[in-house]
Amino acid sequence: MNAPFFKFGFFNDDVSLIVAFVIGIGFGFFLERAGFGSARKLCAQFYLTDMAVFKVMFTAIITAMVGLYYLSLAGFVDLSLVNVNPTFIVPQTIGGLILGVGFVVGGYCPGTSCVAASTGRIDGAVYLAGILVGVFAFGEAFPLLKGFYNSTSMGSITLPELLGVSYGLVVFLVVLMAVGGFAGATWVEKKFAGAKS
Amino acid sequence: MKNIFSGMNLNQKLGSFVGILGVAALFLGNPYTGSTATVNTKELTALIQQEADHVEAEQLADWIIQGKSDFRLLDLRSEAEFAQYHIPGAENAPLAGLSDYPVHRNDKVILYSEGGIHAAQAWILFKAREYKSAYVLRGGLDEWKEKILFPTVLLKPSQQDLAAYEKKKNVSKFFGGSPQTGSGEAKTGPQMAMPKLEMPSQAVPPGGAKKKKKEGC
Amino acid sequence: MTAQSKAVSMNVIGVAEKTERTPHPYSNPYLAGLGLGLVLLAAFVVMGRGLGASGAFSSLVATGVQAVAPEHAKSNEYFAEYLGDGSQHPLKDWLVFEVLGVLVGGFVSGILAGRLRKTVEKGPNISVRGRLTYAFVGGIIMGVGAKLARGCTSGQALTGGAVLGVGSWAFMMMVFAGAYAAAYFVRRQWR
Repeated sequence: MNAPFFKFGFFNDDVSLIVAFVIGIGFGFFLERAGFGSARKLCAQFYLTDMAVFKVMFTAIITAMVGLYYLSLAGFVDLSLVNVNPTFIVPQTIGGLILGVGFVVGGYCPGTSCVAASTGRIDGAVYLAGILVGVFAFGEAFPLLKGFYNSTSMGSITLPELLGVSYGLVVFLVVLMAVGGFAGATWVEKKFAGAKS
Repeated sequence: MKNIFSGMNLNQKLGSFVGILGVAALFLGNPYTGSTATVNTKELTALIQQEADHVEAEQLADWIIQGKSDFRLLDLRSEAEFAQYHIPGAENAPLAGLSDYPVHRNDKVILYSEGGIHAAQAWILFKAREYKSAYVLRGGLDEWKEKILFPTVLLKPSQQDLAAYEKKKNVSKFFGGSPQTGSGEAKTGPQMAMPKLEMPSQAVPPGGAKKKKKEGC
Repeated sequence: MTAQSKAVSMNVIGVAEKTERTPHPYSNPYLAGLGLGLVLLAAFVVMGRGLGASGAFSSLVATGVQAVAPEHAKSNEYFAEYLGDGSQHPLKDWLVFEVLGVLVGGFVSGILAGRLRKTVEKGPNISVRGRLTYAFVGGIIMGVGAKLARGCTSGQALTGGAVLGVGSWAFMMMVFAGAYAAAYFVRRQWR
């Protein structure tokens, strides 16, 4: 068992910042490859004419999920050391709704807006400025929101734990749902994009 | 079979591949393999023989007095016992939850318990999980009380003994103990009053030497 | 802008304009997703954590507030958390460096694909000013939502989704729900 390397002390905090930079480059690179530097392509998802957002996101999720599962099974990765964000179910649900609205109104999400800004999209840069304002407003309003923000905590719970089933079963179900979703997405694209053009 | 495969386009090939992995996951086991570890018995035996597996009470006392913070001191007893008295700068890590207790593999860790047995057992567990610098406080809290908090001196001490005893008295006072004078028999039974807990102000901050970094997004 | 940096940026724009003439088509989404997933997996294996973006913005805002009104920043519980205990600069943070990498990575891919273009992404039925207003307002909404949900699509949905976090999956579904619901009302932007 050697991974996650950082948690086994292979390198220190300062080197981890370099790692962060390199990983960020990979992240930004593939986001742009997929065309997510363009708000029009991103938002086409929500008009059912281009399902790339769904395809890219879920392909990425199942790639990382399946990779992590098999690497852990093989004893290479210590899965218990991989961070699982704690669940605060109600704030995350409401936050997700708000985020979805912000996504389609603004045209980007924080990560893609960076890619847009660095490829010359002015609306991407304006969006970034908006995020900073929104974060600031949240911070200022935090004393009022604090109670809600910290409510309904469930700890770092995973779906297998919640449902009381094996990890492998959830992996299977997610893969099934994703692949089924991809087939469905292709159908939706043909139907709606075809009709429009 | 080969015909079906070559008839698929790239997307379908990718989908089939991940589909197979997904179905296989149904039958394969639990991915949380972190609680099994292998022990290099030769290496551990060597460490024990070389006495590189423990630190002495006096050493630890010196480090605390000097304000060294390059190590983490883990108290393996229960919360109640910890609250009653603990060595200054110690963190409470009851043996039950020890495997989940966050300690970086590169940290220098000193383990102690009441007599030292739990600490020695925890030491083996830590070494099995490849912690590079794990040590037992030899003698545990018992020896800490005897040597540091309530040091004694012989009935007929030599010059050297006296000098050493003076030093021990200072150390003891630092930790709020009470040096024993007079009788040569150590009276460090449970009747001795344990010092109160507001000890050296340069205590290691709670949560260990490093503040735990958030890893969210 | 100094003369030197102006020269550099003129060069970059020159390169961009040259490559802009033939922008390549976007990658197969599954391949892009595979690449993204491998990057995410690498983050898990090397660091034991995943990707993120909104956290870097919080650090940036907190740093800014601290620069302008340090007492206020310290007394505000939310900003104080991002400023840490003062032992190191708040911008010396994993996510901040990662986001810097995202900017570079996006740029590199854009250059290679000839997709660098100074433009405003919008549909045919809205003005530039209208679009930029929407972008700014959308950004504000996104900032609030991301902080409330403790993450954004990269951190919570991608990362949390891959490790099967309950809140992350709930979040992901709600993002799609919210976006689809609001899409009708802003369709003028895109159609």
